Amino acid sequence: MLYDLNIAWSPTTSPDELLRTLRFSASLGYDVVALNHTISPPIPPQISNPIPEFPSSPSSPPLPTILRRATLLFSDPTQQHRIPQLASTYDLLALRPQTEKAFQAACLNIQEASLISLDLSARLPFYFRPKPCMAAVHRGVRFEICYAAVLSPAADARARATFIGNVAQLVRATRGRGLVLSSEARGVLGLRAPADVVNLVHVWGVPRERAVEGLGAAARGVVVNEGMRRTGFRGVIDVVGVAGRGGEGRRKRKNGGEDGENEGGAGANSIVTAAGVEGEQQQPPLSKRQAKKLKAALRKKHVSGDDEQKQA
Amino acid sequence: MVRIKERYLLVNILYPTEIGTRPNVPDVVVINQPTTDQLTPVVLLRGIRAEVANLFGDYGSGAIEGGSLSVKYLSQATSTFILRTSRSSYRFVWSALSFINSIPVKNGKPCIFRVVHVSGTMRKAEEEAIRRARDLIFAAQNGQNEP
Repeated sequence: MLYDLNIAWSPTTSPDELLRTLRFSASLGYDVVALNHTISPPIPPQISNPIPEFPSSPSSPPLPTILRRATLLFSDPTQQHRIPQLASTYDLLALRPQTEKAFQAACLNIQEASLISLDLSARLPFYFRPKPCMAAVHRGVRFEICYAAVLSPAADARARATFIGNVAQLVRATRGRGLVLSSEARGVLGLRAPADVVNLVHVWGVPRERAVEGLGAAARGVVVNEGMRRTGFRGVIDVVGVAGRGGEGRRKRKNGGEDGENEGGAGANSIVTAAGVEGEQQQPPLSKRQAKKLKAALRKKHVSGDDEQKQA
Repeated sequence: MVRIKERYLLVNILYPTEIGTRPNVPDVVVINQPTTDQLTPVVLLRGIRAEVANLFGDYGSGAIEGGSLSVKYLSQATSTFILRTSRSSYRFVWSALSFINSIPVKNGKPCIFRVVHVSGTMRKAEEEAIRRARDLIFAAQNGQNEP
């Protein structure tokens, strides 16, 4: 499974271009992509998710599974009380810290965001120190490297140099761990095939196997974690569907499971609790031996209950 | 006797900007459409050299100098070519290929160079090219995307 957790989206993006990008990313072999909406600091009072949804139908051309993600430009760590609401409206939430304090807070404190996405092609006002970076990686927060910014013909030599320098710093601080590679493509020409991406970041100093991980396992970890956080209860139980009456409950549960799979396997490794209780009464999957045992137990109960009544 | 070690890169040229403009043609065919005949091996090499020089400077151009970079095979019909480089510098060439955004001819179409196979011998690269071409034909017949 290959992931591309950042395809830029804004209200002005033309749907044709977006669809083209998605179809091309499917043909390059990406399985899950996330459309990214960048939000500047004052979070609007009414949080809504403007990213369009793409219903999958068998007749339409194949598209990857599409997640919806928000990136918050984050400069003031004191204003974080609305982040949970923002996180609940989107499938993924990333932070783009603008100052050193914000970076520290994003690394150490903020629970809702699982990605730190920095604009590496501009000079950052802080250094990556190993301690907060490694703390973030141990907490499960991943750092994102977006490569489309350097690939576009508009990028000048200075921006490229800054980008490579920043990547080298980031690799030094995290020792290559906890990196996620994504495109942040604004058009179809910003996308590259997975092998090309791995080679590119290898040239920039990321170890090869870490780069492969950044396209697959690390990105999957983020998606699955976020999925569990939104649908599950404390990461232990995942409700994938509610039991209805009889066979209906079963069918629902099945569908729910498949949906979970589509959302990046959120339902795959979770405990299913919503097994139709009423459904089991209608068609008992018991063997004869078990049925006999049950009957015997019931009889015993009756007898003992009668005894108790007599004693009373 | 010490061998000179080489790498052969099998590269596809993809044209993603026209997806969706022709409703009756499957995506695979649009993406892998033929390249213009103006793209000759010489022109292609010049484009790659320029990009390497742009990205890696004199050091990069020096690494691919001396006959170590050459185009072994170029098919405009299938938009495929095989590049030979020395093993020590193939990553320079590869990343230069990822940075190219259009065909290196005058008013070249926007395109993406995708390295699909890296091998140490010419033969394996050729076999892979043939396999891919066959898969492409099947995919186009089925109207589906590449596996």
